[in-house]
Amino acid sequence: MTTVEKKIMSFSIVAGLVFCVPQTALAMHIMEGYLPPAFCIGWGAICLPFLAAGVITIRQLVQQHRKSILLLAMAGAFVFVISSLKIPSVTGSCSHMTGTGLGAILFGVPATSVLGLIVLVFQALLLAHGGLTTLGANTFSMAIAGPLLTWGVYQAGKKLRLPKLFNVFLAAMLGDLLTYCVTSVQLALAYPSAEGGMWSSMMEFLAVFAPTQLPLAIIEGILTMLVMMGLETYAKSELHELCCAKGGLFK
Amino acid sequence: MIAAPLAGLVFFSLFAGQLPPMWMAAVCLLVVFLFLLGGSHRHDSMLTLDVYARRSQLCRENAAFKTVGSLCLLVMCVCSSSPIPPLCLFLFLSIVTVAAGGVKLREYFSLLGLPAMFLMLSGLTLLWDFYQKLPKEAVLFLPFFGGWLAVVPAAQALGMLVLSRALGAVSCLYFLSLSTPLSELLSVLRRAHVPDIVVELAVLIYRYIFILLATFRDMKHSAASRLGYQGLKRSLCTTGLIYGALLANSFRRAGACFDAMESRCYTGQIVFFTPKKQVTGKLICLLGFPLAGMLAGIWLFS
Repeated sequence: MTTVEKKIMSFSIVAGLVFCVPQTALAMHIMEGYLPPAFCIGWGAICLPFLAAGVITIRQLVQQHRKSILLLAMAGAFVFVISSLKIPSVTGSCSHMTGTGLGAILFGVPATSVLGLIVLVFQALLLAHGGLTTLGANTFSMAIAGPLLTWGVYQAGKKLRLPKLFNVFLAAMLGDLLTYCVTSVQLALAYPSAEGGMWSSMMEFLAVFAPTQLPLAIIEGILTMLVMMGLETYAKSELHELCCAKGGLFK
Repeated sequence: MIAAPLAGLVFFSLFAGQLPPMWMAAVCLLVVFLFLLGGSHRHDSMLTLDVYARRSQLCRENAAFKTVGSLCLLVMCVCSSSPIPPLCLFLFLSIVTVAAGGVKLREYFSLLGLPAMFLMLSGLTLLWDFYQKLPKEAVLFLPFFGGWLAVVPAAQALGMLVLSRALGAVSCLYFLSLSTPLSELLSVLRRAHVPDIVVELAVLIYRYIFILLATFRDMKHSAASRLGYQGLKRSLCTTGLIYGALLANSFRRAGACFDAMESRCYTGQIVFFTPKKQVTGKLICLLGFPLAGMLAGIWLFS
Protein backbone atom coordinates (compact mmCIF):
# COMPACT_ATOMS: atom_id res chain seq x y z
CA MET A 1 0.00 0.00 0.00
CA THR A 2 1.31 3.45 -0.85
CA THR A 3 1.13 6.30 1.65
CA VAL A 4 -1.83 7.87 -0.12
CA GLU A 5 -3.67 4.55 -0.12
CA LYS A 6 -2.94 4.10 3.58
CA LYS A 7 -4.23 7.60 4.27
CA ILE A 8 -7.41 6.96 2.29
CA MET A 9 -7.86 3.62 4.07
CA SER A 10 -7.47 5.06 7.55
CA PHE A 11 -9.70 8.03 6.70
CA SER A 12 -12.41 5.70 5.44
CA ILE A 13 -12.21 3.59 8.60
CA VAL A 14 -12.51 6.67 10.81
CA ALA A 15 -15.35 8.08 8.71
CA GLY A 16 -17.11 4.70 8.80
CA LEU A 17 -16.82 4.54 12.58
CA VAL A 18 -18.00 8.11 13.02
CA PHE A 19 -21.06 7.60 10.84
CA CYS A 20 -21.99 4.06 11.86
CA VAL A 21 -21.84 4.49 15.60
CA PRO A 22 -24.91 6.35 16.73
CA GLN A 23 -24.29 9.59 18.58
CA THR A 24 -27.48 9.74 20.58
CA ALA A 25 -28.98 6.67 22.16
CA LEU A 26 -32.07 7.68 24.00
CA ALA A 27 -34.14 5.07 25.71
CA MET A 28 -36.64 4.13 23.07
CA HIS A 29 -39.55 6.51 23.46
CA ILE A 30 -42.03 6.59 20.59
CA MET A 31 -42.23 10.25 19.67
CA GLU A 32 -45.28 12.51 19.84
CA GLY A 33 -47.78 12.06 17.03
CA TYR A 34 -46.12 8.98 15.56
CA LEU A 35 -48.87 6.43 16.20
CA PRO A 36 -52.32 6.45 14.52
CA PRO A 37 -55.25 7.33 16.86
CA ALA A 38 -56.57 3.75 17.21
CA PHE A 39 -53.22 2.56 18.54
CA CYS A 40 -52.87 5.47 20.97
CA ILE A 41 -56.24 4.58 22.51
CA GLY A 42 -55.64 0.80 22.39
CA TRP A 43 -52.30 0.86 24.20
CA GLY A 44 -53.68 3.29 26.74
CA ALA A 45 -56.57 0.93 27.44
CA ILE A 46 -54.19 -2.01 27.94
CA CYS A 47 -52.28 0.01 30.55
CA LEU A 48 -55.38 0.96 32.55
CA PRO A 49 -55.75 -2.21 34.71
CA PHE A 50 -52.06 -2.08 35.70
CA LEU A 51 -52.29 1.59 36.57
CA ALA A 52 -55.50 1.11 38.55
CA ALA A 53 -53.84 -1.68 40.52
CA GLY A 54 -50.84 0.58 41.09
CA VAL A 55 -52.95 3.52 42.31
CA ILE A 56 -54.93 1.26 44.67
CA THR A 57 -51.82 -0.32 46.18
CA ILE A 58 -50.12 3.06 46.58
CA ARG A 59 -53.23 4.53 48.23
CA GLN A 60 -53.40 1.62 50.70
CA LEU A 61 -49.70 1.92 51.41
CA VAL A 62 -49.95 5.66 52.07
CA GLN A 63 -52.90 5.14 54.41
CA GLN A 64 -50.83 2.67 56.42
CA HIS A 65 -47.51 4.57 56.41
CA ARG A 66 -47.90 8.23 55.61
CA LYS A 67 -44.17 8.59 55.10
CA SER A 68 -44.17 6.22 52.16
CA ILE A 69 -45.60 8.86 49.80
CA LEU A 70 -42.39 10.83 50.29
CA LEU A 71 -40.26 7.74 49.70
CA LEU A 72 -42.22 6.99 46.52
CA ALA A 73 -41.93 10.61 45.36
CA MET A 74 -38.18 10.54 45.90
CA ALA A 75 -38.04 7.24 44.01
CA GLY A 76 -39.97 8.79 41.12
CA ALA A 77 -37.70 11.83 41.09
CA PHE A 78 -34.69 9.50 41.15
CA VAL A 79 -35.98 7.51 38.15
CA PHE A 80 -36.60 10.79 36.27
CA VAL A 81 -33.18 12.19 37.12
CA ILE A 82 -31.21 9.10 36.09
CA SER A 83 -33.19 8.82 32.88
CA SER A 84 -32.33 12.42 32.00
CA LEU A 85 -28.60 12.17 32.74
CA LYS A 86 -25.90 11.18 30.33
CA ILE A 87 -24.13 7.91 31.15
CA PRO A 88 -20.62 7.00 30.03
CA SER A 89 -20.53 4.74 27.00
CA VAL A 90 -18.01 3.17 24.70
CA THR A 91 -18.17 5.61 21.82
CA GLY A 92 -18.59 8.96 23.52
CA SER A 93 -22.18 9.14 22.32
CA CYS A 94 -24.88 10.23 24.76
CA SER A 95 -26.99 7.45 26.19
CA HIS A 96 -29.57 7.48 28.96
CA MET A 97 -30.79 4.76 31.31
CA THR A 98 -34.49 3.90 31.58
CA GLY A 99 -34.18 3.35 35.33
CA THR A 100 -37.44 1.42 35.49
CA GLY A 101 -35.59 -1.90 35.92
CA LEU A 102 -33.99 -0.58 39.09
CA GLY A 103 -37.41 0.71 40.15
CA ALA A 104 -39.00 -2.70 39.65
CA ILE A 105 -36.31 -4.45 41.73
CA LEU A 106 -36.50 -1.88 44.53
CA PHE A 107 -40.19 -0.92 44.66
CA GLY A 108 -42.09 -3.73 42.88
CA VAL A 109 -44.14 -3.60 39.68
CA PRO A 110 -47.40 -1.82 40.72
CA ALA A 111 -45.62 1.18 42.21
CA THR A 112 -43.16 1.33 39.30
CA SER A 113 -46.00 1.43 36.76
CA VAL A 114 -47.56 4.52 38.37
CA LEU A 115 -44.17 6.18 38.94
CA GLY A 116 -43.26 5.29 35.34
CA LEU A 117 -46.40 6.98 34.02
CA ILE A 118 -45.69 10.19 35.95
CA VAL A 119 -42.05 10.13 34.87
CA LEU A 120 -43.07 9.65 31.22
CA VAL A 121 -45.41 12.67 31.39
CA PHE A 122 -42.56 14.70 32.89
CA GLN A 123 -40.15 13.47 30.24
CA ALA A 124 -42.57 14.51 27.51
CA LEU A 125 -43.13 17.97 28.98
CA LEU A 126 -39.71 18.77 30.43
CA LEU A 127 -37.30 16.89 28.17
CA ALA A 128 -39.32 16.43 24.97
CA HIS A 129 -38.72 12.66 25.03
CA GLY A 130 -41.84 10.70 24.11
CA GLY A 131 -45.20 12.43 23.95
CA LEU A 132 -48.74 12.78 25.20
CA THR A 133 -50.54 10.87 22.42
CA THR A 134 -48.01 8.03 22.60
CA LEU A 135 -48.13 7.97 26.40
CA GLY A 136 -50.13 4.71 26.49
CA ALA A 137 -47.73 2.83 24.22
CA ASN A 138 -44.66 4.17 26.02
CA THR A 139 -46.13 3.39 29.44
CA PHE A 140 -46.81 -0.17 28.35
CA SER A 141 -43.30 -0.81 27.02
CA MET A 142 -41.31 1.07 29.68
CA ALA A 143 -43.36 1.08 32.84
CA ILE A 144 -45.21 -2.24 32.56
CA ALA A 145 -43.64 -4.84 30.24
CA GLY A 146 -39.99 -4.08 31.07
CA PRO A 147 -40.45 -3.90 34.88
CA LEU A 148 -42.64 -7.05 34.86
CA LEU A 149 -39.90 -9.06 33.16
CA THR A 150 -37.19 -7.54 35.36
CA TRP A 151 -39.14 -8.39 38.49
CA GLY A 152 -39.91 -11.92 37.22
CA VAL A 153 -36.30 -12.65 36.27
CA TYR A 154 -35.07 -11.22 39.57
CA GLN A 155 -37.44 -13.40 41.60
CA ALA A 156 -36.63 -16.50 39.51
CA GLY A 157 -32.91 -15.84 39.92
CA LYS A 158 -33.39 -15.56 43.66
CA LYS A 159 -35.14 -18.95 43.71
CA LEU A 160 -32.36 -20.47 41.58
CA ARG A 161 -29.79 -18.94 43.96
CA LEU A 162 -27.90 -17.07 41.27
CA PRO A 163 -25.19 -14.75 42.63
CA LYS A 164 -27.10 -11.62 43.68
CA LEU A 165 -25.25 -9.04 41.62
CA PHE A 166 -25.29 -11.19 38.48
CA ASN A 167 -29.01 -11.65 39.03
CA VAL A 168 -29.55 -7.88 39.21
CA PHE A 169 -27.48 -7.37 36.05
CA LEU A 170 -29.39 -10.07 34.15
CA ALA A 171 -32.81 -8.82 35.27
CA ALA A 172 -32.13 -5.17 34.40
CA MET A 173 -30.56 -6.04 31.05
CA LEU A 174 -33.37 -8.37 29.98
CA GLY A 175 -35.99 -5.82 31.08
CA ASP A 176 -34.32 -3.18 28.94
CA LEU A 177 -34.13 -5.55 25.95
CA LEU A 178 -37.82 -6.39 26.34
CA THR A 179 -38.69 -2.69 26.36
CA TYR A 180 -36.87 -2.32 23.04
CA CYS A 181 -38.56 -5.42 21.54
CA VAL A 182 -42.03 -4.32 22.71
CA THR A 183 -41.50 -0.87 21.20
CA SER A 184 -40.51 -2.46 17.89
CA VAL A 185 -43.65 -4.64 17.99
CA GLN A 186 -45.77 -1.55 18.71
CA LEU A 187 -44.26 0.30 15.76
CA ALA A 188 -44.63 -2.73 13.47
CA LEU A 189 -48.28 -3.24 14.46
CA ALA A 190 -49.00 0.38 13.63
CA TYR A 191 -47.07 0.37 10.36
CA PRO A 192 -46.84 -3.17 8.87
CA SER A 193 -44.82 -3.36 5.64
CA ALA A 194 -46.59 -3.75 2.31
CA GLU A 195 -45.23 -7.16 1.37
CA GLY A 196 -44.04 -9.05 4.45
CA GLY A 197 -46.70 -7.71 6.83
CA MET A 198 -46.05 -7.16 10.50
CA TRP A 199 -43.19 -9.64 10.88
CA SER A 200 -40.98 -8.15 8.22
CA SER A 201 -41.69 -4.65 9.51
CA MET A 202 -40.83 -5.76 13.05
CA MET A 203 -37.52 -7.22 11.89
CA GLU A 204 -36.74 -3.92 10.17
CA PHE A 205 -37.47 -1.86 13.29
CA LEU A 206 -35.47 -4.28 15.46
CA ALA A 207 -32.52 -4.08 13.08
CA VAL A 208 -32.54 -0.29 12.75
CA PHE A 209 -32.62 0.33 16.51
CA ALA A 210 -30.29 -2.55 17.50
CA PRO A 211 -26.98 -0.61 17.27
CA THR A 212 -28.25 1.93 19.80
CA GLN A 213 -30.26 -0.32 22.07
CA LEU A 214 -28.07 -3.44 22.54
CA PRO A 215 -25.05 -1.67 24.11
CA LEU A 216 -27.47 0.48 26.12
CA ALA A 217 -29.11 -2.63 27.64
CA ILE A 218 -25.73 -4.00 28.73
CA ILE A 219 -24.68 -0.65 30.23
CA GLU A 220 -28.03 -0.36 31.99
CA GLY A 221 -27.45 -3.84 33.50
CA ILE A 222 -23.95 -2.93 34.69
CA LEU A 223 -25.08 0.39 36.19
CA THR A 224 -28.07 -1.15 37.97
CA MET A 225 -25.69 -3.71 39.44
CA LEU A 226 -23.28 -0.98 40.59
CA VAL A 227 -26.11 1.06 42.13
CA MET A 228 -27.28 -1.98 44.10
CA MET A 229 -23.69 -2.62 45.18
CA GLY A 230 -23.33 0.99 46.36
CA LEU A 231 -26.66 0.88 48.18
CA GLU A 232 -25.73 -2.30 50.03
CA THR A 233 -22.39 -0.88 51.09
CA TYR A 234 -23.38 2.63 52.09
CA ALA A 235 -27.13 2.67 52.71
CA LYS A 236 -28.11 -0.57 54.38
CA SER A 237 -30.60 1.10 56.74
CA GLU A 238 -32.42 2.95 53.93
CA LEU A 239 -32.56 -0.26 51.91
CA HIS A 240 -34.09 -2.00 54.89
CA GLU A 241 -36.67 0.77 55.29
CA LEU A 242 -37.49 0.41 51.62
CA CYS A 243 -37.98 -3.34 51.94
CA CYS A 244 -40.45 -2.70 54.78
CA ALA A 245 -42.34 -0.23 52.58
CA LYS A 246 -42.26 -2.69 49.71
CA GLY A 247 -43.63 -5.44 51.96
CA GLY A 248 -46.63 -3.17 52.33
CA LEU A 249 -47.01 -2.95 48.56
CA PHE A 250 -47.46 -6.67 48.14
CA LYS A 251 -49.80 -7.35 51.03
CA MET B 1 -23.94 14.82 13.83
CA ILE B 2 -25.23 11.55 12.38
CA ALA B 3 -28.77 12.97 12.31
CA ALA B 4 -27.86 15.44 9.54
CA PRO B 5 -26.78 12.93 6.83
CA LEU B 6 -29.57 10.60 7.98
CA ALA B 7 -32.13 13.38 7.55
CA GLY B 8 -30.70 14.09 4.09
CA LEU B 9 -31.16 10.41 3.18
CA VAL B 10 -34.73 10.30 4.53
CA PHE B 11 -35.75 13.41 2.61
CA PHE B 12 -34.04 12.10 -0.52
CA SER B 13 -36.07 8.85 -0.31
CA LEU B 14 -39.20 10.82 0.51
CA PHE B 15 -39.10 13.05 -2.57
CA ALA B 16 -37.34 10.73 -5.06
CA GLY B 17 -39.25 10.62 -8.35
CA GLN B 18 -41.62 13.41 -7.28
CA LEU B 19 -39.45 16.51 -7.58
CA PRO B 20 -36.98 17.53 -10.29
CA PRO B 21 -33.37 16.67 -9.31
CA MET B 22 -32.35 20.29 -8.70
CA TRP B 23 -35.23 20.89 -6.31
CA MET B 24 -34.53 17.62 -4.52
CA ALA B 25 -30.86 18.47 -4.02
CA ALA B 26 -31.89 21.88 -2.67
CA VAL B 27 -34.39 20.37 -0.21
CA CYS B 28 -31.90 17.74 1.04
CA LEU B 29 -29.11 20.30 1.47
CA LEU B 30 -31.46 22.66 3.31
CA VAL B 31 -32.49 19.90 5.71
CA VAL B 32 -28.86 18.88 6.35
CA PHE B 33 -27.95 22.53 6.94
CA LEU B 34 -30.85 23.05 9.39
CA PHE B 35 -29.78 19.96 11.33
CA LEU B 36 -26.17 21.07 11.49
CA LEU B 37 -27.34 24.50 12.62
CA GLY B 38 -29.56 23.52 15.47
CA GLY B 39 -29.40 19.81 16.16
CA SER B 40 -27.16 19.72 19.19
CA HIS B 41 -28.21 17.85 22.31
CA ARG B 42 -27.18 19.61 25.48
CA HIS B 43 -26.55 18.13 28.89
CA ASP B 44 -26.24 20.77 31.55
CA SER B 45 -28.23 18.87 34.21
CA MET B 46 -30.85 21.57 33.90
CA LEU B 47 -34.44 21.40 32.77
CA THR B 48 -34.18 23.77 29.82
CA LEU B 49 -37.83 23.50 28.82
CA ASP B 50 -39.00 24.47 32.29
CA VAL B 51 -36.78 27.56 32.25
CA TYR B 52 -38.13 28.61 28.83
CA ALA B 53 -41.70 28.05 30.03
CA ARG B 54 -41.25 30.36 33.00
CA ARG B 55 -39.60 33.02 30.82
CA SER B 56 -42.25 32.80 28.10
CA GLN B 57 -44.56 35.75 27.33
CA LEU B 58 -47.48 33.30 27.19
CA CYS B 59 -46.80 32.13 30.76
CA ARG B 60 -49.27 34.75 32.07
CA GLU B 61 -52.19 33.22 30.17
CA ASN B 62 -54.76 30.80 31.62
CA ALA B 63 -53.19 27.33 31.94
CA ALA B 64 -56.39 25.27 31.68
CA PHE B 65 -57.38 26.96 28.43
CA LYS B 66 -53.92 26.42 26.95
CA THR B 67 -53.92 22.76 27.99
CA VAL B 68 -57.38 21.96 26.60
CA GLY B 69 -56.67 23.87 23.39
CA SER B 70 -53.34 22.16 22.72
CA LEU B 71 -54.77 18.72 23.52
CA CYS B 72 -57.63 19.29 21.04
CA LEU B 73 -55.11 20.41 18.41
CA LEU B 74 -52.98 17.35 19.18
CA VAL B 75 -55.90 14.96 18.67
CA MET B 76 -56.95 16.65 15.43
CA CYS B 77 -53.37 16.57 14.19
CA VAL B 78 -53.06 12.81 14.80
CA CYS B 79 -56.48 12.16 13.22
CA SER B 80 -55.72 14.08 10.03
CA SER B 81 -55.58 11.86 6.93
CA SER B 82 -53.69 14.36 4.78
CA PRO B 83 -50.20 15.76 5.45
CA ILE B 84 -51.18 19.37 4.67
CA PRO B 85 -53.18 20.42 7.82
CA PRO B 86 -50.51 19.13 10.27
CA LEU B 87 -47.75 20.89 8.31
CA CYS B 88 -49.71 24.17 8.39
CA LEU B 89 -50.29 23.67 12.12
CA PHE B 90 -46.57 23.07 12.62
CA LEU B 91 -45.71 26.33 10.86
CA PHE B 92 -48.38 28.33 12.71
CA LEU B 93 -47.59 27.03 16.20
CA SER B 94 -43.83 27.35 15.66
CA ILE B 95 -44.32 31.00 14.71
CA VAL B 96 -46.58 31.53 17.76
CA THR B 97 -44.07 29.88 20.11
CA VAL B 98 -41.17 31.90 18.74
CA ALA B 99 -42.85 35.25 18.06
CA ALA B 100 -45.56 35.46 20.74
CA GLY B 101 -43.83 33.27 23.32
CA GLY B 102 -40.39 34.78 22.96
CA VAL B 103 -38.37 31.55 22.58
CA LYS B 104 -35.26 32.15 20.47
CA LEU B 105 -35.39 30.61 16.99
CA ARG B 106 -32.07 28.85 17.43
CA GLU B 107 -33.18 27.32 20.72
CA TYR B 108 -36.45 26.19 19.13
CA PHE B 109 -34.49 24.47 16.35
CA SER B 110 -32.23 22.74 18.81
CA LEU B 111 -35.32 21.49 20.70
CA LEU B 112 -36.78 20.17 17.42
CA GLY B 113 -33.55 18.21 16.98
CA LEU B 114 -34.30 16.16 20.11
CA PRO B 115 -36.85 13.74 18.65
CA ALA B 116 -35.23 13.91 15.20
CA MET B 117 -33.06 10.81 15.64
CA PHE B 118 -36.08 8.62 16.34
CA LEU B 119 -38.05 10.21 13.51
CA MET B 120 -35.26 9.70 10.98
CA LEU B 121 -34.45 6.09 11.92
CA SER B 122 -38.07 4.99 11.94
CA GLY B 123 -38.81 7.06 8.84
CA LEU B 124 -36.11 5.09 7.05
CA THR B 125 -37.80 1.78 7.93
CA LEU B 126 -41.17 3.12 6.79
CA LEU B 127 -39.77 4.20 3.43
CA TRP B 128 -37.47 1.30 2.58
CA ASP B 129 -39.08 -2.14 2.39
CA PHE B 130 -37.69 -5.56 1.53
CA TYR B 131 -39.12 -7.22 -1.57
CA GLN B 132 -38.37 -10.66 -3.12
CA LYS B 133 -39.08 -9.30 -6.61
CA LEU B 134 -38.46 -5.72 -7.59
CA PRO B 135 -41.84 -3.90 -7.72
CA LYS B 136 -42.55 -2.13 -11.01
CA GLU B 137 -43.38 1.21 -9.44
CA ALA B 138 -40.18 1.40 -7.31
CA VAL B 139 -38.51 4.82 -7.47
CA LEU B 140 -35.32 3.83 -5.60
CA PHE B 141 -33.90 0.34 -5.19
CA LEU B 142 -30.83 -1.55 -3.97
CA PRO B 143 -30.00 -5.26 -4.30
CA PHE B 144 -30.00 -6.85 -0.83
CA PHE B 145 -29.30 -10.52 0.08
CA GLY B 146 -31.03 -12.07 -2.95
CA GLY B 147 -33.95 -9.61 -2.86
CA TRP B 148 -34.44 -5.87 -3.16
CA LEU B 149 -34.69 -2.96 -0.80
CA ALA B 150 -36.98 -0.46 -2.50
CA VAL B 151 -38.98 2.71 -2.03
CA VAL B 152 -42.44 2.70 -3.63
CA PRO B 153 -44.79 5.72 -3.99
CA ALA B 154 -47.27 4.25 -1.45
CA ALA B 155 -44.50 4.11 1.17
CA GLN B 156 -43.53 7.70 0.29
CA ALA B 157 -47.11 8.86 0.86
CA LEU B 158 -47.27 7.05 4.22
CA GLY B 159 -43.86 8.42 5.23
CA MET B 160 -44.96 11.95 4.33
CA LEU B 161 -48.17 11.59 6.36
CA VAL B 162 -46.41 10.16 9.44
CA LEU B 163 -43.64 12.75 9.27
CA SER B 164 -46.07 15.66 9.00
CA ARG B 165 -48.32 14.33 11.78
CA ALA B 166 -45.31 13.90 14.05
CA LEU B 167 -44.05 17.43 13.28
CA GLY B 168 -47.49 18.94 13.91
CA ALA B 169 -47.91 17.02 17.16
CA VAL B 170 -44.43 17.98 18.39
CA SER B 171 -45.22 21.64 17.73
CA CYS B 172 -48.43 21.28 19.83
CA LEU B 173 -46.44 19.68 22.63
CA TYR B 174 -43.80 22.42 22.48
CA PHE B 175 -46.46 25.14 22.40
CA LEU B 176 -47.85 23.73 25.65
CA SER B 177 -44.62 22.91 27.44
CA LEU B 178 -42.81 26.09 26.35
CA SER B 179 -45.59 28.33 27.62
CA THR B 180 -46.89 26.59 30.74
CA PRO B 181 -44.76 25.70 33.80
CA LEU B 182 -45.30 22.14 34.99
CA SER B 183 -46.63 23.21 38.39
CA GLU B 184 -49.57 24.95 36.67
CA LEU B 185 -50.22 21.91 34.48
CA LEU B 186 -50.41 19.76 37.62
CA SER B 187 -53.03 22.07 39.11
CA VAL B 188 -55.01 21.65 35.87
CA LEU B 189 -54.77 17.88 36.36
CA ARG B 190 -56.13 18.26 39.88
CA ARG B 191 -59.10 20.20 38.55
CA ALA B 192 -59.66 17.48 35.91
CA HIS B 193 -60.25 14.98 38.76
CA VAL B 194 -57.13 12.86 38.27
CA PRO B 195 -56.83 10.80 41.52
CA ASP B 196 -55.48 12.98 44.32
CA ILE B 197 -52.73 10.58 45.23
CA VAL B 198 -51.31 10.66 41.68
CA VAL B 199 -51.35 14.47 41.51
CA GLU B 200 -49.76 14.74 44.95
CA LEU B 201 -47.09 12.27 43.95
CA ALA B 202 -46.47 14.24 40.76
CA VAL B 203 -46.19 17.56 42.64
CA LEU B 204 -43.70 16.06 45.09
CA ILE B 205 -41.70 14.41 42.31
CA TYR B 206 -41.50 17.74 40.45
CA ARG B 207 -40.13 19.49 43.55
CA TYR B 208 -37.67 16.70 44.35
CA ILE B 209 -36.26 16.64 40.83
CA PHE B 210 -34.55 20.00 41.46
CA ILE B 211 -33.10 18.85 44.80
CA LEU B 212 -31.75 15.68 43.22
CA LEU B 213 -30.32 17.49 40.21
CA ALA B 214 -28.48 19.94 42.48
CA THR B 215 -27.13 17.10 44.66
CA PHE B 216 -26.08 15.21 41.56
CA ARG B 217 -24.23 18.25 40.21
CA ASP B 218 -22.22 18.57 43.42
CA MET B 219 -21.43 14.86 43.51
CA LYS B 220 -20.37 14.84 39.88
CA HIS B 221 -18.06 17.81 40.31
CA SER B 222 -16.40 16.33 43.36
CA ALA B 223 -15.98 12.97 41.60
CA ALA B 224 -14.52 14.69 38.54
CA SER B 225 -12.07 16.70 40.67
CA ARG B 226 -10.84 13.38 42.11
CA LEU B 227 -10.29 11.95 38.58
CA GLY B 228 -13.35 9.73 38.82
CA TYR B 229 -14.08 9.84 35.11
CA GLN B 230 -10.71 8.61 33.74
CA GLY B 231 -11.39 5.76 31.34
CA LEU B 232 -14.57 3.86 30.67
CA LYS B 233 -14.27 1.35 33.50
CA ARG B 234 -13.68 3.94 36.19
CA SER B 235 -16.35 6.30 34.87
CA LEU B 236 -18.94 3.48 34.85
CA CYS B 237 -17.93 2.63 38.40
CA THR B 238 -18.17 6.28 39.51
CA THR B 239 -21.55 6.69 37.84
CA GLY B 240 -22.89 3.60 39.60
CA LEU B 241 -21.58 4.80 42.96
CA ILE B 242 -22.99 8.29 42.44
CA TYR B 243 -26.43 6.94 41.51
CA GLY B 244 -26.40 4.69 44.58
CA ALA B 245 -25.34 7.56 46.82
CA LEU B 246 -27.96 9.79 45.21
CA LEU B 247 -30.70 7.28 45.98
CA ALA B 248 -29.55 6.83 49.59
CA ASN B 249 -29.24 10.59 49.99
CA SER B 250 -32.70 11.14 48.52
CA PHE B 251 -34.22 8.74 51.05
CA ARG B 252 -32.51 10.55 53.90
CA ARG B 253 -33.89 13.82 52.53
CA ALA B 254 -37.36 12.29 52.26
CA GLY B 255 -37.12 11.32 55.94
CA ALA B 256 -36.11 14.85 56.96
CA CYS B 257 -38.86 16.30 54.78
CA PHE B 258 -41.45 14.07 56.40
CA ASP B 259 -40.38 15.16 59.89
CA ALA B 260 -40.66 18.80 58.82
CA MET B 261 -44.14 18.23 57.38
CA GLU B 262 -45.34 16.29 60.44
CA SER B 263 -44.25 19.15 62.69
CA ARG B 264 -46.32 21.53 60.51
CA CYS B 265 -49.54 19.53 60.96
CA TYR B 266 -49.42 17.41 57.78
CA THR B 267 -52.57 15.28 57.63
CA GLY B 268 -52.07 13.52 54.32
CA GLN B 269 -53.02 16.35 51.96
CA ILE B 270 -50.79 18.93 50.39
CA VAL B 271 -52.47 22.07 49.02
CA PHE B 272 -50.58 24.67 47.03
CA PHE B 273 -51.65 28.18 46.17
CA THR B 274 -52.23 28.74 42.46
CA PRO B 275 -52.89 32.31 41.31
CA LYS B 276 -55.97 32.76 39.09
CA LYS B 277 -55.35 33.80 35.51
CA GLN B 278 -58.04 35.17 33.20
CA VAL B 279 -58.65 33.89 29.67
CA THR B 280 -57.61 36.79 27.44
CA GLY B 281 -58.73 37.67 23.93
CA LYS B 282 -55.16 37.19 22.67
CA LEU B 283 -55.13 33.57 23.80
CA ILE B 284 -58.58 32.90 22.32
CA CYS B 285 -57.30 34.21 18.98
CA LEU B 286 -54.02 32.28 19.19
CA LEU B 287 -55.77 28.97 19.85
CA GLY B 288 -59.14 29.56 18.16
CA PHE B 289 -57.58 30.32 14.78
CA PRO B 290 -55.62 27.01 14.46
CA LEU B 291 -58.55 25.03 15.91
CA ALA B 292 -60.90 26.41 13.25
CA GLY B 293 -58.21 25.96 10.59
CA MET B 294 -57.58 22.33 11.54
CA LEU B 295 -61.32 21.52 11.55
CA ALA B 296 -61.69 23.07 8.11
CA GLY B 297 -58.52 21.35 6.87
CA ILE B 298 -59.57 17.90 8.05
CA TRP B 299 -63.04 18.35 6.53
CA LEU B 300 -61.59 19.66 3.26
CA PHE B 301 -58.98 16.92 2.79
CA SER B 302 -60.99 13.92 4.06
